[in-house]
Amino acid sequence: MTPLKVTFLLRTPVALGFPWIFFDSLLAHVMLREELGERYYSLPTKIPIDRVPELPLKRWGGVYVASVSIFEPEAELAVYQFYKRGDFPFPRGKIRRGSGFFKDFIVRAPYVPAHRVVFYATGEAGEVERLVKKVAALGKERNVGFGAVRDVEVEEWGQEWGLVRDGLAMRPIPVRLLKRYEDAAYLAYKPPYWAKESVDLCAVPFTHVELA
Amino acid sequence: MTSAQCLLRMSSWLDKWREYFLTWYDEGGVEAKAQEAADFACRYLDGGVVSVSGGKDSMAMLHIIATRCGGDVDVFHWDHGAALMPRRIEDEIMLNIRAVAPKARLIVRRYSLGGSERARVDWRPWYDEFFATLEGLGYKHHVLGIRAEESNRRRGRGRVVDRGRWVEVHPIYHFTWRDVWAYIFKHGVPVPRIYYLYAQHVGWDRARLTTFHDREFEKYGNQIDSVLMWREKNYVEKKNSKK
Repeated sequence: MTPLKVTFLLRTPVALGFPWIFFDSLLAHVMLREELGERYYSLPTKIPIDRVPELPLKRWGGVYVASVSIFEPEAELAVYQFYKRGDFPFPRGKIRRGSGFFKDFIVRAPYVPAHRVVFYATGEAGEVERLVKKVAALGKERNVGFGAVRDVEVEEWGQEWGLVRDGLAMRPIPVRLLKRYEDAAYLAYKPPYWAKESVDLCAVPFTHVELA
Repeated sequence: MTSAQCLLRMSSWLDKWREYFLTWYDEGGVEAKAQEAADFACRYLDGGVVSVSGGKDSMAMLHIIATRCGGDVDVFHWDHGAALMPRRIEDEIMLNIRAVAPKARLIVRRYSLGGSERARVDWRPWYDEFFATLEGLGYKHHVLGIRAEESNRRRGRGRVVDRGRWVEVHPIYHFTWRDVWAYIFKHGVPVPRIYYLYAQHVGWDRARLTTFHDREFEKYGNQIDSVLMWREKNYVEKKNSKK
């Protein structure tokens, strides 16, 4: 396992569904898509996946040593609003899209006009590089052009910054694994990040912590 | 950007907008509109209750009524619960209501499922409980801060709506978003600070206080909550989480 710095060079701004993108979640997504192929796009609704693939990343206390996204240059959040047509079996003839059942959705996509997205992680360099090369776009609303990746660079890094960097948490870390922490909130700390089973009281990324 | 720089930037942004809204107060004839709204509302306060969500419209309306119709009014506030309305905002709302109408008789009811995750995905029990509560209060008139400009549906409702068991009255029905903000800035009406955060990102006309992380409002673009209000996204009160 090698400490790594992964830099995504972007073509377009990244739209977000949460303030950060999680590197372990990104790898899990790519691995699942590889494993399931086309079935990945028709997963059951109630329990979409029953297990998460074993990621090529180091674990510490059940937490992957992989940071959240760092957007460069640091920019303010902006909002792009557009209207999205629902995924319905639309009937023939005229339908109202301005109101009623088939009404279009307003999407207010918060986005960061960043040029680069950096992650720090500790893992198997070759496998991590192979997986990140498969990422075509980052963040949300990728189908309308957000977060398009121009290139990705994976470098070996002298220090392990996947968990903590200069005393600052680089990802959500459960407070039970910490000696001290500055700020805490209920956050998911392992993939799948949408599952409530993954939520625990965690130190907030980029706040001061001391590992136990 | 350091937090001090952020604050400085926000303060200068807010100063510019304050100036704009104060100018609009005179140019838009907001004083006359407020007086007309007060005259209209005062007629319905006998046997009526002023419903206040704590948002900008209802706070402006409460201020108009409390200062021009006498502060001795009945005020009803519905607490959505911790899963839908973060406690820090709810606490702020309560303080604001007390500050604007200190003499009011305040009635607060809390949604029984409001601490649970279910409240975010299933809104039918909310409607049942909310309307049963309104009926239980037994008032003839419910004075609400609804404005015609907000949606076509609200535009179609009219200023006085007979709901059968009670009559809904909308004193600030003809106010625009500019009028409301102008009134708030002119009279220093306290509103939750979250408005300023949202106004910075979505604009003053679109900044609204609704329940957060609520699936019901997904179609209105509420996914921005996950970024601006991330801290509350996973918060539910443990005691209700299995309901």
